Amino acid sequence: MQRNHIDIWVLVVVLALMVLSLGVVYSASAEWAYKRFENPSHYFNLHVIKVLIGFIALYVGLRVPYTIYKPFTKPVLLIACIFLVVTLVLGGEVKGAVRWIRLGGLGFQPSELAKYALLFHLASLIATKKDLVRDWKVGFLPMLVWISIVVVLILLQPNLSTAVVTMILGSLLMFIGGVRIVHLVLAGLTALPVIVGYLILEPYRLERIRLYLYGVSNGKTNYQLMQGILAFGNGGVFGVGIGESRQRDLFLPESYNDFVYSIIGEEYGFVGAMLVLLAFAFILFRGYRIAKHAKDDFGRYLAYGITNAIVLYALVNASVAVGLFPTTGLPMPFISYGGSALLMTSFATGVLLNISAYTDLRPRVSKTADGYNMHEQQEGVGKVY
Amino acid sequence: MKEFEPHHRQKLRIFSIIVVFCVLFLAISTRLFIYQIVDAEKYKQLARKQYEKKFILPAVRGCIYDRNGNVLVSNTQFISFAADPKIVGDKATLVAEAFAQVFQKPSSVYLEKLQKDPSKRFVWLERHVHPSVVQRFDPEKIKGVVVINEPRRLYHYDDIASTLIGMTDIDNRGIAGLELQYNSVLHGVDGSIVMQRDGAGRIRPSADYPRIDPVNGCDIVLTIDITYQSIVDEELKRGVEFYQADAGVALMLNPKTGELLALSTYPRVNPNELGDVDVAMLRNRAITDIFEPGSVYKIVTAAAAYEHKLVNPMDRFYAEKGKMRIQANGRDLRVITDTHPSEWLSFQEAMEISSNIVFVKVSKLIGSERFYRMARDFGFGMQTGIDLPGEVRGILRKPNEWSPITLQSMSYGYEVGTTPLQIACAYAALANNGILMKPYVVAEVRSPQGDIVQSQGPFPIRKVVSPSTVELLTRALEGVVERGTAKLVHLGNVRIAGKTGTSKKWVEGRYVESTYTASFVGFFPIEDPQIVCLVMLDNPKTPVYYGGATSGPIFRAIAERVVSTSYKFSKSVVIHSRNEIRSRVVPDVRMLTIPIAKKLLASYGLEPTIYGTGTLIMRQSPEPGTILHQGDAVSLILEQNASVHKGLVEVPHVCGMSLRRALNRLVLDDFEVKIHGTGKVISQTPNGGEIVKVGSRVMLYCEQHSIDRKKQTIASRE
Repeated sequence: MQRNHIDIWVLVVVLALMVLSLGVVYSASAEWAYKRFENPSHYFNLHVIKVLIGFIALYVGLRVPYTIYKPFTKPVLLIACIFLVVTLVLGGEVKGAVRWIRLGGLGFQPSELAKYALLFHLASLIATKKDLVRDWKVGFLPMLVWISIVVVLILLQPNLSTAVVTMILGSLLMFIGGVRIVHLVLAGLTALPVIVGYLILEPYRLERIRLYLYGVSNGKTNYQLMQGILAFGNGGVFGVGIGESRQRDLFLPESYNDFVYSIIGEEYGFVGAMLVLLAFAFILFRGYRIAKHAKDDFGRYLAYGITNAIVLYALVNASVAVGLFPTTGLPMPFISYGGSALLMTSFATGVLLNISAYTDLRPRVSKTADGYNMHEQQEGVGKVY
Repeated sequence: MKEFEPHHRQKLRIFSIIVVFCVLFLAISTRLFIYQIVDAEKYKQLARKQYEKKFILPAVRGCIYDRNGNVLVSNTQFISFAADPKIVGDKATLVAEAFAQVFQKPSSVYLEKLQKDPSKRFVWLERHVHPSVVQRFDPEKIKGVVVINEPRRLYHYDDIASTLIGMTDIDNRGIAGLELQYNSVLHGVDGSIVMQRDGAGRIRPSADYPRIDPVNGCDIVLTIDITYQSIVDEELKRGVEFYQADAGVALMLNPKTGELLALSTYPRVNPNELGDVDVAMLRNRAITDIFEPGSVYKIVTAAAAYEHKLVNPMDRFYAEKGKMRIQANGRDLRVITDTHPSEWLSFQEAMEISSNIVFVKVSKLIGSERFYRMARDFGFGMQTGIDLPGEVRGILRKPNEWSPITLQSMSYGYEVGTTPLQIACAYAALANNGILMKPYVVAEVRSPQGDIVQSQGPFPIRKVVSPSTVELLTRALEGVVERGTAKLVHLGNVRIAGKTGTSKKWVEGRYVESTYTASFVGFFPIEDPQIVCLVMLDNPKTPVYYGGATSGPIFRAIAERVVSTSYKFSKSVVIHSRNEIRSRVVPDVRMLTIPIAKKLLASYGLEPTIYGTGTLIMRQSPEPGTILHQGDAVSLILEQNASVHKGLVEVPHVCGMSLRRALNRLVLDDFEVKIHGTGKVISQTPNGGEIVKVGSRVMLYCEQHSIDRKKQTIASRE
């Protein structure tokens, strides 16, 4: 296959977000880090390492031709599932949920790996089965089984939000892949009692939903959300300035993670918050453009899946910060503090860019005796050497 | 249902996903727009509120001094215990037990406070306790409990003058008496400091807002003399208890200036020991309670009669043998009786034995209009204007509202309502040659630096009667004490003029038998009146309830002690005592040599006891003018190097002493003291060691900053 230029603007936007994340995470975490470790740069130092690892992951994803992954999607997904099981058995507890396993010095969240492994495998399945995806038994059921396994394992951690989002991402990919809507609705109806039962099992989950609904109907909100909203309001149109956030002064819990968007809103104002939102909108459209022009079906569905994952996470995170959704613990891609998510998202972005390199969107410029000439490489036009 | 082409179907599906994403993007943007642009101000305000915490820097409340510079009220630091129930949490039982042990209360009291309302973040556990209490706690046991410094008023003389001074509530705001009336002056202006606060409640000073320093309250200097006040308070208490009265009022004025020298009520409270105070106990009966004065009001009738030259002291009236019917329109309206039935009485005698019948007859000569004008001129029916809270006007109806017998009733003190202070002021006008003075109690307001901010002096209201009338009235009132209803008041060494009053109490629309208000009001010494004093008892229950038999002796006891404690009276006393062989008043033997003093004391029937060495007597105890029994001892204190003549005295060295000590030292030698500033005395004029006349003025210059102004600490809750 012809390898052309990657979609450089997606790369620029992603790198810009990652650089922004350095500033925001430092500002948002310094007080908390000082309180907990007496070192204001505790979280920042770790974050820098993670961002650097993210760069490497992105580069690796970008360099390795995506077609290589196709035969390995199933074994990798199996390994991811085993990791999930291992985590359930051995993992360390963070805030009451078992989500981590320790690899070397850094914790690792297998759910992040599993999420992308699932999307890779679904892309592979859809690409292989083509029109057979419309068949319940041959096409739909295997995909449903994989989604169910991963979602249930994540639910057991317990991590409702990630499970739900993973389920939505899988369903979206199947939806784009052409499965029957009837099948999706049926599967959804089956999942519903499971989710409801899950909510009832632990009172705090219902309480959170109740608080959210109560807040929606009464204009009242929980402490964390209120502090987040105060941050937005305090930022105003242009923000209070870089590193000038006041809400991070131990008012806003998780200010460097789940509520990082509030700090962006405070320090960079409405303008900054909108720019970040527009960056993800840009990624959505460019990602879908890459998918549309992808050289093969595997690349196409992979691009759709990855774009969906990035944009959906960003939207859910922002929606939580502005109080549209109940408070959950989903990070904002590229910006939030957090290793596994950043690593996997960076790698996936690399893969997305790699897919873009095999489209005809930005043809490679060849060198001629006269200098540089650009040659349109559209279908029907002969290749020039 | 039509099947789409696979490619077309995918396009449609992707389009629908994009639509959903776009809706979300739009929803988020809308929220951002609302939070960051539309409602931004509201949230900014809310946010600022939680970043900034305002701490009040309380102003130090001003002190209260008496006329001689004695501190009556100052401040002291107490501590209060408070807790955050959330922080104390499950250790509540432990904390409650620790408190129960220290304060000797059941632990349930504290436990309830800590657990009553879990959402509350601040509860008081104990307030205003002595700072040393904190040492009785094991700090380990009361974690989460905050100790807060709180200023509290310190009333140096406990219940003495408490009615007058009033008190502050637990937050140091005046709620009664002068503390209320002068609250804004005493309180000063609280300052504040804005601190930056973070989510964990940690604070640091804010650079954005300036620190506003508190402006401390001003001191006030009263016209009260604490010596007289103590005497009045003590004697009234003794009298109320002895005569089993429900309550009593006594007050003392300087007739020449209107200065209030003492004011006392009983029962009264000790402002230093406040439990549950009955608010009614805090009222100042001398200005808030109206009573029908009875015979003490005859002064108005007599004044009108003399002033309009209707009656001479020797004019004789038929007293109807103690019983007279008042008729109007041919009907019997009332029978007037006299306590001492007589036939013919001169007006002077009628005054002395307080004949109601004669006064009713005289009132007919005066007529309603002239009587009313005289009563009004004495200040009845309107506020005296004293600077105390809650003063009432009393009741004095206009003649056109009078019934046919109102004039007759008023002539001996019924159908009018007066306050004790109004009566005292009316007598003070007589003692001041007929000029009514406005009574006042605060002489000066001084800034914390000692500068006089505001001062109040004598303020004449009007001339009520002419000097000739004053002379006649004084003679009549002296007769009351010498020969009349107030013979018990008579003192050997000082001439007293006064009048008794006994009135039936008007309770719920009718006069109640055997419930009386007994009063005595008078002034002395007659030659040059210095003191007007009123004593009133509410419902004395001893068999003899007359004013002359109950309030009179209390007045006498007060007068006796007042005369004996001050050099000011001793001159007139000495002059007077020469004619009064019966008295055993201590003579002034200061600056005399020992043999002469011994001889002098022996002639008075007193025994000298000598302390120290030397030739001249420097001090004596008791003071001159004190009344002793025959054979009592008088201590004479000698000073070796005394080089002074009689009537001269050496100014003591008081530099470096505290103001209070210096004052006590100087007052001992009858110096008149003028003070500039507060705190330690840094210089004096004349200097110590100089020889000056007795009673000379000594100026004291003190440090500008005050003793009681301790640096305020911010009660941080961290």
